[in-house]
Order: sequence, then C-alpha cells, then structure tokens
Amino acid sequence: MGGILLFGFPALAILLCLGLSSRRKIDLLVLLHALIHSGLGTWAYIERGSLMGMDDLGLLIFLILSVLCAAIAFYRLGHKDNSTIKNYRIHSIFLMIFVMAMDGAALAKDLGLIWVFVEATTISSALLISYSNRKSSLEAAWKYLFICSVGIALAFAGILLLVIAQPQHATLLISKIDLSTISPFWLKISFVFILIGFGTKMGLAPLHFWLPDAHSEAPAPISALLSGALLNIALVPILRVDKLMHASGMGDLVQELYLLMGMLSVFIAAVFILRTKDYKRLLAYSSIENMGLIMIAFGCGGMAYYAGFLHILGHSLIKAAFFLTAGNALQIYKDKNYENIGGLLKINRGSGWLWLISSAMIIGLPPSPLFTSKFLIATTMLGKGYYLYFGLLMLLLAVISWGIFNVGLKICLGDSERKQSLNPWLYLAPAGLLFIAAVIGIFLPVMN
Amino acid sequence: MLEILIVLFGLSLLWASVTNMLGTIIKILVVQGLILFGITLLKTTQLNWLSFVTIALETLIFKAILIPWFINDTIKHNQIHREVEASVSNFFSLALMSLIFILSFALAGAAPAWSVKIFPLEFGIAFATILKGIFIIIANKKLITHLMGYLIMENGIFLLSLSAGSDLPYIVSLGVSLDIMLSVLIAVLFIKRIRSTFDDADSPETLRED
Repeated sequence: MGGILLFGFPALAILLCLGLSSRRKIDLLVLLHALIHSGLGTWAYIERGSLMGMDDLGLLIFLILSVLCAAIAFYRLGHKDNSTIKNYRIHSIFLMIFVMAMDGAALAKDLGLIWVFVEATTISSALLISYSNRKSSLEAAWKYLFICSVGIALAFAGILLLVIAQPQHATLLISKIDLSTISPFWLKISFVFILIGFGTKMGLAPLHFWLPDAHSEAPAPISALLSGALLNIALVPILRVDKLMHASGMGDLVQELYLLMGMLSVFIAAVFILRTKDYKRLLAYSSIENMGLIMIAFGCGGMAYYAGFLHILGHSLIKAAFFLTAGNALQIYKDKNYENIGGLLKINRGSGWLWLISSAMIIGLPPSPLFTSKFLIATTMLGKGYYLYFGLLMLLLAVISWGIFNVGLKICLGDSERKQSLNPWLYLAPAGLLFIAAVIGIFLPVMN
Repeated sequence: MLEILIVLFGLSLLWASVTNMLGTIIKILVVQGLILFGITLLKTTQLNWLSFVTIALETLIFKAILIPWFINDTIKHNQIHREVEASVSNFFSLALMSLIFILSFALAGAAPAWSVKIFPLEFGIAFATILKGIFIIIANKKLITHLMGYLIMENGIFLLSLSAGSDLPYIVSLGVSLDIMLSVLIAVLFIKRIRSTFDDADSPETLRED
C-alpha cells in the first residue's frame, strides 16, 4: 500500500499536471505530493521496516527527503517565477520525477536498481538546473550531466566488477551476496570504482567540478534539494557496498580512502570559499566541505561513524534552509555577487536573520547538530591518533567558518534605505527547517 | 573468432591514439559498434532472446549508425574545427595507451585463478577501453571530443557487461540503459546547438573553477 502511494500518487499527479493551466493548482498538486511523502515518512518512522522493508539507512535518507520536499513545496507557494506556464508545468513534473527517483534509490536493496534510480535522478535534475534557460544555466546543466554521466558509468563498471567478484551465483541484492565465496581482489577494485563513480555524484573532490555551477545556477528550491537530498542519495550505494568491504576484512582500506577523499574535499572547499564572490557558489563549496566531513567521519569509524549520520541529517536541513534563504536574497537583490550587495537586515529583516542563523548553524555553532557531529569527529580523530589529519582539518574548518561568516556579515550588515517584503512562505519554509535542525541538535536522536 | 574480434577492438584503441581528426574517431566508433555487434552474435547462447534482440539492435543501429551520424551532423552544423586539439602529442598518447594495456592485462593476470570467471583477454581489453575513454576526456579540450571519450568508455563498459552478463543477464540490459544517458547528452548538444549558446564549442568552462 505504502509503495503504491509513494510511486503511484506522483505518477497520477504527473498526468493531472499535464492538464493544469494554473500555477496555483500545480503548486498545490506538488504540495499534496510532498504531504503524502511526509505522511509516509512519519508512518515509516513509527512502523519501522513496514514501508517496502526499509532499513535504518533507507529510513534516514527517506525522512530527510520527506522533510525537504514539504519545505520546498511550501516555499514554492511564495516563490516568484517569470517562466511561462508550459515551462513551469514541465519543471513541476520533473521535480516530482526527481523525488520519485530519489525515493527509489533510497529504498532499493539491489545495487543494479539503485544505480538505475541514481541515473534517473541525473537526467531529471539536469532539466531542473537548466530551468532559467540562460547561457550559464545551460552550461551548468551540461557540465553536471556530463561529469555525472562519467561518474555513473564508472559506478556501473564497479557494479560489473562486483558481479565478476562472485564466482558462484552472482547477485546484486546486497543481503544475498555470499561473502564466503566472494573474491577480495575483485571486490576491492569494484569498491574503488563505486566510490569514485558515486563519489562524483556526491560532489567529492577531485570530481566535484559540476557541483558549484549546478547548485548556483539552479532555482533556490532545486539547489536546496540537490544539496540537501541528492548528495545523500549518492552516498547510499557507497555505504551499502562499504558493509561488504568491512565484512570481508577490508575495512582499513575503505577508511583510508574515505579519509583521503574527505580531506581533499575539505581542502578544495576551503580554497574556493575564500576565492568565490558568488554567494550561491559559496554555499555549494560548503556542501563539498560537508560531504568531505561525512566521509572523514565514516573514515574514522567508532563514534565518528554515528557522527557521520548526524552530520548527514544536520547538513541536509541547514543547507536546504540556507539555499532557500539565498533564494530570498537573490529575489531581493537580483545579483549573486556579495560584493555588490549589503544591508539585508535593513531591507528584509526576516531573510537577514535567517542568513545569520543559517551561517552560524552551518559552521557548527550550538544548537546545530553539526556542532555535536564535528565534536565527535574531532575527539575520535584524537582518540585514534590521527593528529596530522586533526590539525589540518581544524585549520581548514577555521578558514571555511571565517569565509562563510565573513560573507554573511557583509550581506546582512550595512545601511540601506530600501525596504522589501516577501511572501511569508519564503521565511516559514527555511525557518521550519532550521527549527527542526535545532531541535535535533538539542535532543540528539539515537541511531542504530 | 571471439578472440579475433576482441583483439580488433583493442587495435581500434591504438588507432584512436594516433589520430588527430574527429572524422577518424567517428569511424573508430562505427568499427567498435560493429565489433560489439559481432561479439553479441557470438554470445547468443549466453543471453535470452529478448536481451539478444535488444543488444543486437542497440549495438548495430544505435552504436554503429545513429550515434556516429548524430555526432557527424553536430560537427557539420556547429562548424566545429575538424581537429581534435588534444593537449598531448600522439606519441605520448600511444605510449600511454600501451601502459594502459599493460596495466589492464596485469590486473587480469593478477587475479587469483579461482576467482577468474571471465576471459582475461576480454577483461583486459574492456578495462583498457574504459581507461582510454577517461584519458580522452581528460586530455582534450572540445565538448564533442569529451563526448567521444565518453562513448569509447561506454563501449568498454558494454564489453565488460557482455563478459559478466552470462551470470546475471539483466546486467547487460542495465548497460544498455547507459545509452539513455548518452542520448540525453547528444540531444543537448544536438538540439541546443551548443555552439550557438556557448561562445564556442570548446569547453574550457568545464574545467573552470571560479
């Protein structure tokens, strides 16, 4: 029943959407889809495992997606859009397809099926990125489509190598893979391909080039979904194969690779956060940083493993709120260069405060859940004797925090005679996400 | 016969390493599509009839005819200069291709004997093709050459999926779905007329940071 609702309703909504000629009705249909999604998320949380045999990892990703979908659907009610009704209809249809594909990737247990769903997310979201049809957005969509296609092709090569790794009764259903007969040699090579392939889609360095363009060119609600949900979706297959590696006694190799890619991603983010003048690109680089931190957390193991999941949860909520707030700023200034703007607190007090709170929470100031996750990562690093990694990470995080807060202050402070009000949904949606993140930060969830 | 086709496929990679012309790479893609079609015919017994028909049509019509034609048409319409404009010389490219072959066969040879269920020659060539595709993407400047690199990489993956497909037939169909992605990429280039949208068809932007 849950599965029918989850995939059947959006399929029906897409058909209905084709006949609608009013933006309001399309928005309400998308909102209804999001509310059904949230209802299913709540049901899946209460009745663990009842929705398509969902496991804990699937549940976490699905819940995050539910919350983000609801916030974005509400935000769209107040978001101004100058496109034609035809384009808006296509955009809304692809938005629902995108969410369906992400649901599929989160819930599937078969690696082949996960791969197909991840491929579907790439195709559907490329159209969402190029929505404005500007030269820069078309370029960003091409770059995204091409680099992610290469990543997806490499991930597929990894999946083929996983089949080769099983001399008898090959399967891609993770729980059915026979670890007693699997070849560690091929499994190792398979994992490297899967990590690089899906890591590309996650925005991990060195194949992160698509992310700053795609996230900065997409409309605010799409940027929020890309950063808050899609990056997590790409992590799912990596974590599913990660279990096989640990069970086959190759956990050390996995952790080394995670640490290496994670540190490189944080380094790249730190360098470009200081260089960029575009505040949406700044947020995109911050996503690369946080994906890097998540990999470092899984690379450290122990308590940091728990911190990794907490970081996924916290980053998704806060970054989505931040991108929605950036959408407000773009609507007010019509300019993405932070050196040309200022006085947001004077012009629009609500968005100004949202920007400052988002900045504080994304760098990990309490009550952000990222405070706890970063603290746990740091203590695990020290506990395990990774002093060099620890020192370097702290330095890079300090640079990133300074960069984000410095831009925040430049945008929010300053004088302006201008006043501009926005639709209340444009404050309520990001504020709701930040509130949920703060509640999670204060009452930390217990995860298995 | 299968071995001969696989060796010919490998030779096409060496051919791709010594050419500077986009037209020659298109010819190489046609040849690779035809060889893959031949390999599929020889693997009839390992595939069910539905997979066989899909794959045969896909290799012959899609890989050997439609895609090369679309690329050729895009080059003509977008008035793209017919040279590859690689950032490395042919000698370097050939030397690297030889290294890729050595690495790929070493990998196939290094696998413990009990765990090898695919033909090492087939694995070595397929793996080398994937690496060659990545190299073409990295070493060239043009969008269209990037796309060709992707196509060569995809052919390698397809060859690998044919090797692994005897155990898990649906994996071959999944491999075919990679072409959906490819079709979207080509459609963007073809319909949006990238040249008319970007300043030129080169893609230094794809390597740009800020």
